[in-house]
Amino acid sequence: MRLWYVMRESLTDLRGHRGTVLIGVVTTAFTISCFGGFVLLYLNLKNLAAFLQNDVQVIVYVDPDASVRTTSGVNQRLEREPAATAITFVSKERALREFHEQFPDESTLLDGMGSNPLPASFVVNVSPRFQDAESLGAFADRVRQFPGVTHVRYSQDWIDTLALVVSHFQLGAVVIGTILAVATVTIITNTVRLSFYTRREEIEILRLIGATGAFIAVPYVIEGAILGTLGGLLSLGMLKGTFELLRFEIGASGWFRGMDHVLTFFSAPVSMLVVLTGMLLGCGSSLVSVFGLIKTRD
Amino acid sequence: MIQLFHVSKFFDRCTALRDVTIRVDQGECVLLTGPSGAGKTTLLKVIFGSEVPDEGQILVQNRNVARLRHGDVPYLRRTIGFVLQNFQLLPRKTVYENVVLPLIIQGVKNRDAQKRVKETLGAVGMEHKRAIRAGVLSVGEQQRVCIARAIVTRPLIVLADEPTGNLDGALTMEIVELLKSIHAQGTTMLVATHNQVVVGCMTCRVLHLQAGRVVSDTRGEGE
Repeated sequence: MRLWYVMRESLTDLRGHRGTVLIGVVTTAFTISCFGGFVLLYLNLKNLAAFLQNDVQVIVYVDPDASVRTTSGVNQRLEREPAATAITFVSKERALREFHEQFPDESTLLDGMGSNPLPASFVVNVSPRFQDAESLGAFADRVRQFPGVTHVRYSQDWIDTLALVVSHFQLGAVVIGTILAVATVTIITNTVRLSFYTRREEIEILRLIGATGAFIAVPYVIEGAILGTLGGLLSLGMLKGTFELLRFEIGASGWFRGMDHVLTFFSAPVSMLVVLTGMLLGCGSSLVSVFGLIKTRD
Repeated sequence: MIQLFHVSKFFDRCTALRDVTIRVDQGECVLLTGPSGAGKTTLLKVIFGSEVPDEGQILVQNRNVARLRHGDVPYLRRTIGFVLQNFQLLPRKTVYENVVLPLIIQGVKNRDAQKRVKETLGAVGMEHKRAIRAGVLSVGEQQRVCIARAIVTRPLIVLADEPTGNLDGALTMEIVELLKSIHAQGTTMLVATHNQVVVGCMTCRVLHLQAGRVVSDTRGEGE
């Protein structure tokens, strides 16, 4: 009977203060979304950095006038390098075809030059053990000395920069997360407090007839939990919508061609965690609010 | 049943109660009289545990109310029915919902609670209005509902603070009769009133307070 009573009181109160509840849900959803969006960005950047780090490639350009024997010699020497895990030969013709595919608007520039000016190259996948800046630099320096090699290019600098950004994001996530959690608690606390004040007389009566603090508080805690859960669900919907929109835009722009799979939304357990966070914030805020108000003796 | 030993209570520089020592036995009816500010309400509040005395001790059913922990106060209140001058009903809830609330708090089973509310509303003559919202009742009816809420748990003690304060002559007599019938069932009763009609109609012990002191203690004819 008591459980039925507290549940009914919570729902009655939520229905009775629809405006306040709606504002509470929306503001909770926005604050959780801000934090969730930040976490989502962090996770995707981390994924991207990991993907790029696992896929460090060194491109070894061969002299356009090099003979087949010289080119073959470069290949053999690369195969002996412990840093090289996979070697792919890109011929002059393949380089031209890929250029046409990737830059169709600029392909006429090359057409006017008569012969194919693009050099043949070897794309070398580097073992994770040699992906630090020092080892990679030493490897590139060695390869530059190979007969027939004109140029060696690798993109470790900006990968390292991305990894640094990701590590800074971790700190940022903690700071911003804490700030937003405090903001959420404040909002829900005030919503519950408002509801509490509007029912002050009722609470006085409950005290007079022997209601314990827990009996008075439970409907408000349930109310806070419902409010937080709704906020969490709404924020999850907002995040998913925004994420899908951005993924579509990025896909259309072609910025991350071949890396679409790197962009991921929260997994099911993490999504549940977002909603659970909302619920716990709601419960916690109600507890803070209500127990502070019912501590007086009369 | 209720004993106060040298109880004093001060609010800032005002003295609400000073060195009050009284004993109320089980089944006794006591009227607390005196002018406004004499300390009648404060006396009821210290017994009820909503005010802590600055000096002295209070025993209610052998429990020292003055030293009661905050968490134990609700359990004391469950043994006492309190009737208030301004009724303090929940206006949006029905008569039934108002009266059943103390039983819900005490965890009484639904079927038992329904039975007890029916009996109690019958006793105060409000059974026919059980589904009416408390906010639309007349003042006399509201006071009857307030009394029903106070006695529905069958407490051994009922405290009433100016129970006829907002009522006219005819309604006052109705409430007096109701209080008398509750007392006749063996309930210990303390009623704070400055209404001489109540004092005249209820054959109770009368404690007269002035400036926080008990200045006279007279037994009623029927005592």
